[in-house]
Amino acid sequence: MTAHSGPSGLSNREGHTDFDITWPWTRPGGLRAGSTAVLRVKDEAPSLPFVLPPLLRAMDHVLVVDNGSTDATPEVAAETAARAGLSDKLTLTSYPFSVARAGAEHLAQHELSVHSLSYFYNWCFAQVETRYSWKWDGDMVLTTEGETSIADLGWQVGDVQSIIRVPRHGLYLDGDRHGYLDLGLRNAEEWGFPIGPDFVFTKAFEWEVRTTPDPVRSIGLPFGLCVELKYLDGDEFAHWTDPASFATSFRNKRKRREWAVFNALQEGTVLPGVHEIHAPEGVHIVDHVTHDWLPRAPRPLDVGSAVTSDDAAPR
Amino acid sequence: MSALVSDPTDVTPDEYPRKVLFVAGAGRSGTSTMAGLMSILGLHVPQPEVAADETNPKGFGEPRWVVDHHDRLLKAALVQVSDARPEAWFETGRISTREQERIKTAEWLGEHFDVSRELVVKDPRLSWFLSLWRVAAIRNGATPVFATMLRPPAEVVGSKQKYYANRLGSAHLAASWLNMLLHTERATRESVADGGRVFVRYADLLDDWTRTTMAVGDKLQLQGVLHANSEQIREGHRFVDPSLRRMAQSLDDLGLPPKLHELTAETWAELNKLAEPDGDTAEAHTALDQLREAYVDLYAEAEAISRSSAVAAEQTVRTQLKRPGGGSPAGDGPAGGAVGGAPAAAEPGGLADKIPHGLRAAIPPSVRRGLRKAAGRER
Repeated sequence: MTAHSGPSGLSNREGHTDFDITWPWTRPGGLRAGSTAVLRVKDEAPSLPFVLPPLLRAMDHVLVVDNGSTDATPEVAAETAARAGLSDKLTLTSYPFSVARAGAEHLAQHELSVHSLSYFYNWCFAQVETRYSWKWDGDMVLTTEGETSIADLGWQVGDVQSIIRVPRHGLYLDGDRHGYLDLGLRNAEEWGFPIGPDFVFTKAFEWEVRTTPDPVRSIGLPFGLCVELKYLDGDEFAHWTDPASFATSFRNKRKRREWAVFNALQEGTVLPGVHEIHAPEGVHIVDHVTHDWLPRAPRPLDVGSAVTSDDAAPR
Repeated sequence: MSALVSDPTDVTPDEYPRKVLFVAGAGRSGTSTMAGLMSILGLHVPQPEVAADETNPKGFGEPRWVVDHHDRLLKAALVQVSDARPEAWFETGRISTREQERIKTAEWLGEHFDVSRELVVKDPRLSWFLSLWRVAAIRNGATPVFATMLRPPAEVVGSKQKYYANRLGSAHLAASWLNMLLHTERATRESVADGGRVFVRYADLLDDWTRTTMAVGDKLQLQGVLHANSEQIREGHRFVDPSLRRMAQSLDDLGLPPKLHELTAETWAELNKLAEPDGDTAEAHTALDQLREAYVDLYAEAEAISRSSAVAAEQTVRTQLKRPGGGSPAGDGPAGGAVGGAPAAAEPGGLADKIPHGLRAAIPPSVRRGLRKAAGRER
């Protein structure tokens, strides 16, 4: 539980009472069975047409919280859900405050400020109505196997108080039919959490962290189920205060790997562990990798040996 | 030739799309009859099969490897074949996410696709691992399809008690049936990888198997069934024996606790709707979601009420483990019953077998792990 948590919720320091947080388990009627994915997004319009369809199929509900997009992200989310025939599973909302970037900006922010990553996450997950939740990014795309795995675990978990870790692999896009998949790094972060007082967000050094009871169960999914889209013609590190922020500790190893791969590819160098992939004529590179290349890749998947994020450690 | 009247014999079995039919549902519900018919009509049962016995004289239609595989996985998950705990689904689901199990399962399935492009896999334990098999199909570029057999719960419970001399009582068996069927229905709902599902009443299969299996073949696009020849159909008639449905009990005969009785009756009524043409609707899913929630709540209540029994069972085990040798206690408490034609997941002859199933299942996993460790046993 966050150090500042109240029994029924949180009030922010700025006095924006309409953005105070009421814990969802204290609401009349409580929580219902099922799983909700929560996406906090800013300018993810290019990625959402790939991200949302498998996620909407796999989840009971998907909550997209827009945070100041200027590229029509909410409209693209709504159109994508409508095209998939799954609008009834999507809730769109927005959080109007600027949120501190990961790193030094975050560290300087009090966790009860509306500008804090921790407060932002707590507000987002307070909108969830189901008993299980998945923290999801607006650029994370499930493979076919990933979609069925998450969908099955979503109902199997029931009321079990377990965390679920999801590995992901960077997919660096160079146009519609050409990309680079980074399997050079083992990276599995905690994405699935029960909704309840034991699992709320609080402040860590560079970003937020979710509290857990001790002991807590945690299981991990296999590699090869999820890719994270990176655009070689974009600014992939805009949500960081300064790249120097992630040059400091073990916790930031994944970011340092992404920085290295991204910059190497910009210079025309393919680092060890990175696979160059061409999609067949008429097939988008993201669809090719998630529907065909990764599901059919020989198992066990040849993934680099370094475990990256500190929350990937077995419990 | 016009595409509209193309000759189906133009497509040979070597060209059929890869497909695997999973026959799910509670044991003693006609799953063997369904798998046997599918085999006769051209789908391949991966060999070798479990041998027929007096409980199932026509054969089980179960691949031996699948039975052994599931037994091992159930043991690893600490789940019984007839487990009434809703949380048991997470325990088997967790095991199903293990990469080494996904690899083993996919490799085994791939070997049998080399024999035939349409397979049928059946085992009373199958429902616990549908997510694992779905992944195995995906990795083989195959389409999974599902047939769930439906038989009145009173008959299933009666059949199990008759054939396996089960001493667990009808309340536990009815609860296991509810847990199995409500979650099997949830597990087989449309997924991006799937090619559809059907629910088949055992009574319909015995009454007119030609009509019933053709409906299954048509809905799931099973080429073997759609193109079965006359000799295969004759063999089907020789195989199906309408007198197989020997039980004729009603739910009232079971003497269930009122809430369990009500839930069982309502669940059976809702599942029956799925067996009707166009009955697999969003409305039916919503009703079954509510029943599943009601069952989860009922089980949680029962667990809370019987907490003293679980504590007493823990204390009994701890006491026994402290005895010299940590061996089996004197006395002969009822063993965890096997349901479905094979041993239950507990280690045969182990101390766990001496504890009634209901109590064993109520011991929290963390305590069980501690007890295993104290006994020097690893799983």
